[in-house]
Amino acid sequence: MVMGRVVGRLWASRQAAGLGGRKLLLVRPETASGKETTRLIVAVDGLDAGPGDRVIVAHGSRVRDLTVGSEVADKDVIVGIVDGHEVTAA
Amino acid sequence: MILGRVIGEVWATRRDPRLAGAKLLVVRPHGLYEPAIGGRHLVATDDVHAGVGDEVIVCLGAPARASAGGNDTPVDAAILGVVDRVDFDAGLMATPGAGPGIKRPFSIDLTAGARR
Repeated sequence: MVMGRVVGRLWASRQAAGLGGRKLLLVRPETASGKETTRLIVAVDGLDAGPGDRVIVAHGSRVRDLTVGSEVADKDVIVGIVDGHEVTAA
Repeated sequence: MILGRVIGEVWATRRDPRLAGAKLLVVRPHGLYEPAIGGRHLVATDDVHAGVGDEVIVCLGAPARASAGGNDTPVDAAILGVVDRVDFDAGLMATPGAGPGIKRPFSIDLTAGARR
């Protein structure tokens, strides 16, 4: 898993059946010390996260199967919303 | 499996119910591996009571799920061991750019990790 910040929500009126109207969030992965990277991933939300939340994103088809269902066509899933984190030796 | 150092801890109250009770640590991988979607860190579950500053072995994928409390736990990284000692020949390690995923020279400060 990696930590990242939800920076937005994504809507798509024409989408593959595999996405099934799932809530999609734009997540910008952060470094351990909380600095934003330039990367951007589209993650399925299993926890009702929103823009501004720092989240934990897990990757992989099996994780996706277990959380949002095997029919969903996305392998990045939000599995936790971070309350706080402490990094002492970045 | 990859080698890394525990650099911190994460707290998350709202999390997938199957992750309830799991301790989540922030690990910085050593050199040879960079997470595909990350910012040079991994969040991994911990089953071996690792602490900040420890050098650890992190397993990715299916074995990580098995370790984290069953095959139906939605995690992709788990700490499987705390390293006591590593012997390696720095001259034989791959250089950056030598292959996919090799972005930094492999380096590990053994004096800092060998505090046990």
